[in-house]
Amino acid sequence: MSDPTDNGRDDTGRFVKRAAESVHKLNTPSEEGIHPLSQILFGWTHTKGIGNIIFWVLLALSAIMLSIDFFFPRQDYLKFANYAGFYGIWGFVCFSFAVIMGWPLGHLLRRDENYYGDASGPPYGVDPDAPMADEATAPHHSSEGDA
Amino acid sequence: MPTMLASLNPGWVLIIAGIASLFIRVRVVRQVVTIAAPLMALLLLVFATQNTDLATADMMGLKLVLYKVDSLNFIFSLAFLIAAVLNGIYALHSDDRIQDGAALFYAGAAVAATLAGDLMTLFVFWELTAISSVFLILRAQTREAYFAAMRYLGVQVLSGVLLLAGIAYVLKSRGNLSLEAFTDLSDPGVLFIFIAFGIKAAFPLLHNWLQDAYPKATVVGSVVLSVYTTKLAVYALARMFPGQEHLIWIGATMTVFPVFFAVIENDLRRVLSYSINNQVGFMVCGVGVGTPLALNGVAAHAFADIFFKGLLMMSMGAVLYRTGTVKASQLGGLHRSMPWTTVFCIIGAMSISAFPLFSAFVTKSMIISEVATAGYAVIFLMLMFASAGVLEHSGIKIPYYAFFGHDSGIRVKEAPFNMLLAMGIAAGLSIFLGLPALVPGFGHEWLYNLLPYREEAMGYSHHHLFSFSHILTQFQLLVLAIFAFVLLKRIHAYPPEKRGVILDSDWTYRKLGYGLVVWAGTVWGKAGPAMSAAFFRVTGRAYNWIEAAFSPRGELARGGVLNGAMAIWTAALLGIVLLLSFMAVS
Repeated sequence: MSDPTDNGRDDTGRFVKRAAESVHKLNTPSEEGIHPLSQILFGWTHTKGIGNIIFWVLLALSAIMLSIDFFFPRQDYLKFANYAGFYGIWGFVCFSFAVIMGWPLGHLLRRDENYYGDASGPPYGVDPDAPMADEATAPHHSSEGDA
Repeated sequence: MPTMLASLNPGWVLIIAGIASLFIRVRVVRQVVTIAAPLMALLLLVFATQNTDLATADMMGLKLVLYKVDSLNFIFSLAFLIAAVLNGIYALHSDDRIQDGAALFYAGAAVAATLAGDLMTLFVFWELTAISSVFLILRAQTREAYFAAMRYLGVQVLSGVLLLAGIAYVLKSRGNLSLEAFTDLSDPGVLFIFIAFGIKAAFPLLHNWLQDAYPKATVVGSVVLSVYTTKLAVYALARMFPGQEHLIWIGATMTVFPVFFAVIENDLRRVLSYSINNQVGFMVCGVGVGTPLALNGVAAHAFADIFFKGLLMMSMGAVLYRTGTVKASQLGGLHRSMPWTTVFCIIGAMSISAFPLFSAFVTKSMIISEVATAGYAVIFLMLMFASAGVLEHSGIKIPYYAFFGHDSGIRVKEAPFNMLLAMGIAAGLSIFLGLPALVPGFGHEWLYNLLPYREEAMGYSHHHLFSFSHILTQFQLLVLAIFAFVLLKRIHAYPPEKRGVILDSDWTYRKLGYGLVVWAGTVWGKAGPAMSAAFFRVTGRAYNWIEAAFSPRGELARGGVLNGAMAIWTAALLGIVLLLSFMAVS
């Protein structure tokens, strides 16, 4: 509700209007289609060398996580779980194994998209403006080597 | 509450609303119904008297309990109904009577099955979930969706038929249809019921209907499907087979094998379908352990999974809706244009990965803790492997390939507001459930208070859940696994996302079985005429021979080889045989 002050100006109305404009601005993509909120939340991911920074930070964090075990012994029900670094090493090994197995399994199990003869486009009801609605013309890339 | 309302199964409210939605042409009215009906059903459930037969019926001398609430089915039904509200909100952008009606009917059938107090009522609604949910796949109106829907329906109906056969056996041996737990799998009836539940829970080798059908449904359909069928089966297993040791190994296998498929799968909704398999595996394993804390873990993890898996499905649905694809090889960089969806997806990813302060941390840990306490070392290692695996496919792969990674150059609008609202509520719940109890009954304690064995849950909460050791070991597992991802990416050891289908056990019937049928048809097509010709040749010759012998123009009529003496001898022999026969009889 507006609140005219002594000078006759509707300050509350101006505040609401400014707030509405800010919200609108925050939700209006740029001409390049970039959402302003994306810059605020994820702008850091475009920093040069961010891949290296993440790698070294995680390496340091992993080392710290593993070394804590030497100072705080555990009392798990399963004896092998009490060895220093068990959870971290098991997590690392399992993750790596699952991913590495993707190479031979991919070669063994991957077939053409129309292998079963029923390949179709997207389901009914997607946005009529969807750029990939016609899959046949969609760009295709391999993600290998992504930063 | 008035008696009539008190005896009204909340699931029926959704079923009636679902049928009504099919005929409501005014979009706004239908949208009000899709949200108001689950809210009304929620009120009915919350105020229902527990451990009493609230609605019964007699049929052919059998007492059916149509509606009964207890601590186990309450928490499953509560999750189903909250999910129905969220699904209604998520679907608001679309104007589709069939989809709205099918989604409500399906949710209602699942709730009614969960709140059933006898096997026959369970069977009826079990079948209704199958029949109603198939429309969510068919509604995609694509060729692949049509065939997948037919396969889905076949498998689901098979589950129902097995359940009915099992019920008939059990009725004969037990004399009643009660939902008492079974202990002996050697009884054929019990085994039938076990397999029927196993099909819906997507046991290994019975699982492929899920990865086949769910990713081919509509944008909204996949979200709705991800909630009900498998969790209904988990409830049924927890009700009828707690402590059944086979389930420990079945569940552990379910957690492990989808990890390998999810790594190489390109369709991100199919990755999430494998993720459903993986998470249901934890629940099945917990049912097999069967201790009060393990069953608490099952119920709690099912509750949390419905929201974080629903959230991930919603985020991929939003991507599909806006871009027209969920193929990892075609996506990337969408955080630039869909930041809200990205945030919600990351919350879902952190929840399913069991980061401390997110929901799976407070639910899955009960199951793993009980496995360790019971001394199942191999199972424990399998579950830890699966925990690292779920981080790979749902925690990292889904958000990374859709929203980060290679910039596909796709610039689209953010998801519609209704989708963001539904995702926001699901994300809020996924965080809320994982929070420590800053005040009694807050955060995870709200959920723990609803569990079937509340005392055990509270004991676990006070002594172990947020202990330094538990938080540290979870962080160790996750941080080192994330480091493995970064390292493998850095040295280009991470397999690239490529277009294509990944063969799974459905190959046996979609390719091998179908090929055999086609081959048999081809063989029959060629062998059939030859066999028919041979048959007619043989019968033709026999007819000619008989005609030559016995017809009026035949050999016998003309005398031929049979002369008069032969005829006399034949008559004499017949006379002797007749005489001997009369003597024997007299």
